Amino acid sequence: MTNEAEHVIEVEHLTKRYGELLAVNGISFTVRKGEVFAFLGPNGAGKTTTVEIIETIRTPTSGNVRLLGMDVTKMKRDIVPRIGVLPQGFSSFDRITVRETLQYYSRLFCRGKTDIDGLIDLVNLKDKTREQYKNLSGGLKQHLGIAIALVNDPEVVFLDEPTTGLDPRARREVWEVLQGLKNKGKTVFLTTHYMEEAELLADMVAIISKGKIIAMGPPAELVEKNTNYLVLTLQSVDEKAFEIIRKMGYEPVLNDHKEIKTRVEHTDDVQKILSAIKDAGALYLGLDVRKPNLEEVFLKLTGEALHDGHVGGKGAE
Amino acid sequence: MNLRVVGANLFVKLLSVYREKTAMFFTIAFPIILILVFGTIFMSQDNVGFHLCVQDLDQTKSSVESVKALELNGKFKITWVDPAVNATQYVRDNKVNLVLIIPKGYEMSLLQRTEFNDPDASVTITYIYDPSSSSVSTKMDILNGVLAGINQEMSGIPPFIRSAEKSILTRKYRFIEYFIPGIIAMSVMTLSLFGTVNLNTELRQKGIIRKLSTTPITRTDWILSDILYQFIIAVVSTTAMLLVSYAVFNVNLHLDAWLLAFILLDVFAFVGIGMILTRFVKEAQSAAAAANAISFPMMFLSGSFFPIELMPGFLQKIAKMLPLYYVNEGLRAAMVFEDNMAALRCSAVIGVFAAVVFILGIIATKWEEGR
Repeated sequence: MTNEAEHVIEVEHLTKRYGELLAVNGISFTVRKGEVFAFLGPNGAGKTTTVEIIETIRTPTSGNVRLLGMDVTKMKRDIVPRIGVLPQGFSSFDRITVRETLQYYSRLFCRGKTDIDGLIDLVNLKDKTREQYKNLSGGLKQHLGIAIALVNDPEVVFLDEPTTGLDPRARREVWEVLQGLKNKGKTVFLTTHYMEEAELLADMVAIISKGKIIAMGPPAELVEKNTNYLVLTLQSVDEKAFEIIRKMGYEPVLNDHKEIKTRVEHTDDVQKILSAIKDAGALYLGLDVRKPNLEEVFLKLTGEALHDGHVGGKGAE
Repeated sequence: MNLRVVGANLFVKLLSVYREKTAMFFTIAFPIILILVFGTIFMSQDNVGFHLCVQDLDQTKSSVESVKALELNGKFKITWVDPAVNATQYVRDNKVNLVLIIPKGYEMSLLQRTEFNDPDASVTITYIYDPSSSSVSTKMDILNGVLAGINQEMSGIPPFIRSAEKSILTRKYRFIEYFIPGIIAMSVMTLSLFGTVNLNTELRQKGIIRKLSTTPITRTDWILSDILYQFIIAVVSTTAMLLVSYAVFNVNLHLDAWLLAFILLDVFAFVGIGMILTRFVKEAQSAAAAANAISFPMMFLSGSFFPIELMPGFLQKIAKMLPLYYVNEGLRAAMVFEDNMAALRCSAVIGVFAAVVFILGIIATKWEEGR
C-alpha cells in the first residue's frame, strides 16, 4: 500500500522492451517526498526510458509504477497536472519570448495565477524576459526549460539530463538553479551522466547500467561502501613519470590535460611514487590526493567509464 | 476539448508566423505572383491576335485588299515578306512558324471568276509552316475558316447551316475570373498541407511535441488549434489575392458565404491529409517531399490552372476523384457562375472527404512518444 507522504514514486520490477532490446530490466526503487533522486548512468543505460515511463509518456512492458499514489498507465490525466517535466534535449518555439513561453505553458495547465515573475527570478532570466527563445544561449534555454517544468507548481519535477551539451560554466549556472529547487523542498527526479551533478545535488543516487540498477544509496555512502583506495593526480608531468609509476605496479592513466591519475591504497604509496619520480629526475607541477568519487564507484562496479579519462589503478576489481 | 488551451496554441502559432516575416511574405506573395503572371498572360485572351507573315507575289490592289481583310478579321497582325526572298528560308531564318503565299496572277484569276463567271478560274494559297510550332495548326484552322467564308460568299448562294451563339451564363466571364477560384483552392491546399506537415514534423524533431505530451493538452485541442490557425492564414492569403485581383484586373466575382465555406472545407481536408502524412514521415525534408508528391499532381490534374476538358478522357476521370477538383468546381460555381446547387453538390463531396480524412488524421496523430 502506498504511503504518499513518504514515497512519491514507487517502481516495482519495471521492464521495458523495444523488440529484441531489453532497455530496462526489472528495476525497483522508491523516491521519497522532498528528495532529490539522481538516476546516474551512461548513454543507453535506460535512464530516459525509465523516467519517460514514470512521466506517463511511455508504457512499461511489465512491472508497476506508481506516481503520487497513482498507476502511471491508468491515471495520466490526473498525474500530468501535478508533475513538471524537463525532457531530454528540451526545445521551445523559436520566436516566442521567455515571458510569452511561460504564459503559454501556464495557460496549458489552465492556471490563472502563475507567478511568472517569481519563476523568472528563480531561474535567473530577469534580463531576458523579452528575448526570443532562438536568441538564448544553450544554458539559458535550459533555465527556461526548468522554469516551464515549474509553471504548474508541481509536486514532483523530472529533469532529464538538464546539463548535457552545456559548457562547464553554463552547467554550473544550471546547478545553481537546481540548488534553488532543492532549497524550496521540491521532489526532484534527476537523470544525468555527470557524477559531479549527482554528488552535488542528490540526496539519493541510483546507478543504472544496461537496464539494471547496480547500486543505490546516498552519494557519500556509495563511495564509502564501494571504494577503499585514494586517487593520486599529478599535473603537467614528464612522460617518463608515467613509465616509472607503471613499473612500480600501479595502473596510471594519462589524460588530455597531461595529468596522470592512479589509484593508491595508502598515503605511504603516494610518498613512494613521489620519491621515485624525484630520483629519476622527472618533473610535475602539482599533485592532488583525494577520495574516489561516484564515477570511480561506477567504474569499479561496471568496468565502464561514464566519461573519458577515468582512473585505472592497482588492485582494480 | 478546452477552449483556453486551443486559444493559447492558436496565439503562439499566429505570433510565430507573424514574427517570421519571410515566411509570412511568401505565404501571401506566392499565390499573388501566380495571379499576376497568369493574369497578365491571359488578360487579352478574348482578343487573341496571331502574328501572320504574308508574301504577296502578285503585288496587286486585289491581293493587298484580301490580306487587309484578314487583318480586319481581328485575328491577325500582318507582316509583309519581300516577294524576292525564299519563303521556306525566311521561316527558318526568322523563327516564324507560318508564311502565307499569295501566288502571282491572283488578281487576274479573281477578275475571271467575278467578272466573267469562269468557274475554272481559281488560285492556290500556299502555307509554308513549321510543324513543330504548337500554335501553327490553330493559325491554319482560322485561315481555312476565313478562306471558306470567302469562297462561300463568292459562290453567291446563301449558306444552308448558320450558327448562333447563346451562353448559359448571364454574363460573359474572362479567363482571369475562371482562374482566380482555382488559385484560391490551390493555395489554401498548399498552405494547409505544407503548413501541417512542416509544423508538426519540425515540432516533433525539436522535441516540443514530447514536451507538450507532459502537459494537459489533448490531441483534439492541438488539432483544432491547427485547423483554426490554417483557416486564418488561408483567409488572410485569399483576401490578399482578391484585393490584387480587383485592383489589377478589375475582376467581377461573386463573393458570399460559399467562399468561406469552401476555404474551411479545403483546410479541413488538407490538414487531415497533412496529419496522416506526419504520422508516417519522420524527417522535415521527407515530409516536404511527401507533401509535394501529393500536391503537385493534384494542382495540375484537378483543374486549378485550366479546364479539365482540355485533358485526355482518362485524366478527366482521375481528376474527378481528386478532392481539389471539387473545391475548384465549387468555388467557380459560387464565385463565377453563381450556381448555388452546383456549389452545394461540390461542398457535399468535399465535406464527406474532409470528414473522413480528418477523422483518420486524428487517429493517425501520435501524441505520446513511442508507446
